[in-house]
Amino acid sequence: MKGLFGNEKVSAALVLPGLLVIIFSLVVPVGFAAYYSLTNWQGFGKFHVVGLANYRQILSADPVFWRALMNAFILMVITIVIQNPVAFALAAVLSHITEKASRIFRTVFFVPAVLSLVVVAKLWVSIFNPTYGILNKVLVAVGLKSIAFSWLSNPHTALGAVIWIIIWQGFGWALLFYYTGLMTVPREIEEATRVDGAGWLQAYLRVIIPFMFPVISAVLVIDVISCLKQMELIFLTTAGGPGMLTQFVSVYLYQKAFVAGQYGYGNALSVLFVIVAVGVTLVVQRLLGRNDDSL
Amino acid sequence: MKRIAVALLALCIAGALGAQAKVTLKMGDNLSDRSTGWGAVVEQINTEFKAANPGVDIVTESYPDQPYQEKIKIYATAKQLPDVFKYWSFSTLLKPLADSGFVLPLNKADFAKYNYVPGSLESNVWGGKLYGIPVSADFWVIYYNQKLFKDAGVTVPTTIEDLEAMAPKFKAKGIIPIVTDGKDAWPLSIIYDVLCERVNGDFSRQQAALDRKAKFTDPDFVEGARQYVKFMQSGLFADDLTVSDYGASRNLFGQEKAAMYIMGPWEMGLATDPSFSDEFRANVNAFKFPVLKNGKGKIDDLEAWFGGNYVISSASKNKDLDLKYLKYYAERFPVLAWQQHAAFPAQKITTLDSDTPVAKTLVKILGDAKMTSGTTTIDRGTPQFKDDHQNFIRELSSGLITAEEFCKKIDASAETASKQ
Amino acid sequence: MMATSLPGRKGPPAIAVAGKSILYLFLIILAVLQVFPLLWVFDYSILKSGDLFGPELLKITNHPQWGNYQRAWVNGKILRYFINSAIVVGVSVLASTVISFFSAYAITRMKGKLVPLALVAVTLGMVVPIHTTLLPNFIWFSYFHLIDTHLGLIIPYVAFTLSFNTLIYIGQLRTLPRSMEESAFIDGCSWPRILWSIVAPMSVPATITVFVMTFLNNWNEFIMAYTYIATDNLRTLPFAIIKFQGEYSSDYAVQFACMFLVAVVPLVLYFIFSRQIMAGATAGALKG
Repeated sequence: MKGLFGNEKVSAALVLPGLLVIIFSLVVPVGFAAYYSLTNWQGFGKFHVVGLANYRQILSADPVFWRALMNAFILMVITIVIQNPVAFALAAVLSHITEKASRIFRTVFFVPAVLSLVVVAKLWVSIFNPTYGILNKVLVAVGLKSIAFSWLSNPHTALGAVIWIIIWQGFGWALLFYYTGLMTVPREIEEATRVDGAGWLQAYLRVIIPFMFPVISAVLVIDVISCLKQMELIFLTTAGGPGMLTQFVSVYLYQKAFVAGQYGYGNALSVLFVIVAVGVTLVVQRLLGRNDDSL
Repeated sequence: MKRIAVALLALCIAGALGAQAKVTLKMGDNLSDRSTGWGAVVEQINTEFKAANPGVDIVTESYPDQPYQEKIKIYATAKQLPDVFKYWSFSTLLKPLADSGFVLPLNKADFAKYNYVPGSLESNVWGGKLYGIPVSADFWVIYYNQKLFKDAGVTVPTTIEDLEAMAPKFKAKGIIPIVTDGKDAWPLSIIYDVLCERVNGDFSRQQAALDRKAKFTDPDFVEGARQYVKFMQSGLFADDLTVSDYGASRNLFGQEKAAMYIMGPWEMGLATDPSFSDEFRANVNAFKFPVLKNGKGKIDDLEAWFGGNYVISSASKNKDLDLKYLKYYAERFPVLAWQQHAAFPAQKITTLDSDTPVAKTLVKILGDAKMTSGTTTIDRGTPQFKDDHQNFIRELSSGLITAEEFCKKIDASAETASKQ
Repeated sequence: MMATSLPGRKGPPAIAVAGKSILYLFLIILAVLQVFPLLWVFDYSILKSGDLFGPELLKITNHPQWGNYQRAWVNGKILRYFINSAIVVGVSVLASTVISFFSAYAITRMKGKLVPLALVAVTLGMVVPIHTTLLPNFIWFSYFHLIDTHLGLIIPYVAFTLSFNTLIYIGQLRTLPRSMEESAFIDGCSWPRILWSIVAPMSVPATITVFVMTFLNNWNEFIMAYTYIATDNLRTLPFAIIKFQGEYSSDYAVQFACMFLVAVVPLVLYFIFSRQIMAGATAGALKG
């Protein structure tokens, strides 16, 4: 069927709109950013070209950049190993209960995803408040005062607290992805597993999950990139603190470019971030195995 | 005859159209809420100005602080600045705009008759030119709840040591002794400034260090940092100081869960804020930042600066109108702002009988001041220095670095800033 | 949909009635934890501003301040902003869905010369941070007079959601066999017919995800909205919250009223369309 899928005109027509939009709104600004990254511009007024000085500093003398990447990596691991499986299991359970109950639960579980990140951040700052927050109040009430930390400002717990907030907020999304992902499984395949007499766990592991593998791959890639790109929830809770311990690259580049007036430096961070993120994406895809469809 | 009539008619129409021709004054500020406070005052000034100047329309873009600064910078680069906009006078904010030629220099003589507090107009002078008119007098005080003080059996402290000793008394009652906006860090940096002055009695030391005639690792600064650490560890602040933001800390004070609130005079509205209880409103007052027992700083040395100002874009097409607006603003603002407790003007205030006790105290504190600091240290350097300073003070407050390490880091940042 | 439309299908056969009750109990507890923030927002929205952020997480009040909602509606210009959001987000969702569907189909099925380039663009499009694009786009869009227009907001909204959406569609399309399209082609179907009548219905699950994702990301989007738009009458819903932010203190309770109104719309839409979505998905699966 070379003719059908080899049709140049059709493939060009399908691909061109997306290509144009992405070039117009994303590639062009990154190009600008790459140019600015070679300067010491403060965002307005005059500037001097400094070549690769910003890059040299980031790669050799900026521990915050590396810590930010490490934090994203930790978040990735927890997302993939804990959040996703739990969401998948819940999606599976929801697909087996009555339609009405399922619909109600699904809407309710999706609430955190619907709220703006500002609301989520304010809520958790309130819950984690060491003196008045409900978490510590409960801990003290059950006699666990020793672990009633100042969750978001204590250097030992800050990263964990921030990661918890991100995982909690993203849970509704993971649930959505996997629930609709389960919907891609055609009925015959699902029926076939029961005809076989296999237990439900076997059915999932041997048949359903492998069938859904492309969908799962897509979700994992999205997860990985989202973890790298995290910005608002960190910015609104710890702002990368205490002492840069909870820093993430998007927050850091924002602070450098817009707050500290180091616009050139911030743009160098952006460019490096794009390079790192693309690299990570390729690695993940390789790990997940590639078909000739790629991605 | 007909021709003349037609010509006359055309002239009349043209005249009418000309009179209708609207000039739009584009403005920008960080006062998003136009229904109360400062935003409402500006709306009133604008309404009065439009009434007195038919044919003029005013359109304002308002955003909260951070987005506002970002957008102004973007507008500057894109050459689309508003005609008149509210900004800050600091070297971290106004100076870069002025240096790049985006702000119109003003004639100081034009504003001589508006009773500006001495030093206020000067804070907008760069390279010998005046770049904006100051709108607020900002100074550092400690607000307190008189009832909570009485309940804990304490009186207004005059020394820092006395203040630190009060902490356990409040905590015994389940009250947080002091709250402030630790999340944004700048209040913490200002507290550090004040403590340094209480040690060395000399506000000019900060600028000297920035000019590299002195160092931030000199003994007086290190002692100031040590005093800061002592202040932080005295139990006066809640554990979550560095994540407690402006709104949360203000509300804790207003809900009478905290006895003191370190902030500037713009919070005199606490006494008339309908969100809070009558009891709180009746009991809120302020006192001067205490001194160190063995320090050189005196109680009437006041950390005071003039933060807010209004400037004119150098690319504005209506410069005369803009100037007219500024003058009108200068005339009406101190009266309206004081009446509505919206802001503490940088001009002579006419006190009213209806003034709240805290408002009267604030006027007195400013009036008593024998020496003022001028712009706060974080705003005297480059934006990078400010960002660094705020990061380091947060680390110091969290106990992640020592006083000595803090001073070394500040000094290194100042060194970098001096080369830029 | 899987289990529920088939009679007699009760899920893992080992679950007894007691097990089922425990399951429901667990789900309900989880549900309460998840819906809690909405209750919190609503609670704060009917308090007085001074009562917020205090020691109690949920404050029960005897004097609900319904006036907050009235102020939110009037001073917050909710209706005007809502209409703008509906336009901007509606168009973005449609455009992004269609364009990403096309791109995903090409990447999964087609062998054209531009296809690898599309792949590169999609990968690149995933990783660009929003703040990096603000200043350059402001200047770049100005050349095309796109600043302070709805179109100037729609285009980046589509751009930022294209990559993830394409990925979702790719995931979906890779589970569909080519045989349907091939036989349709042999039958003489044109490309538009193949895509619209055959592939699209089978891709409904992915379309749901794409719709919801794009809608929500853009519904709450604030940063690009305040950067690219200056005229008040063009602003979108998230800006309503800003109207109550003063230089120092703000009218917090009214902000929460705005936040509640902003959040309720997608939730209600999600709930309502759940049923339609299920019907569509089931119909699609039948064809397979």
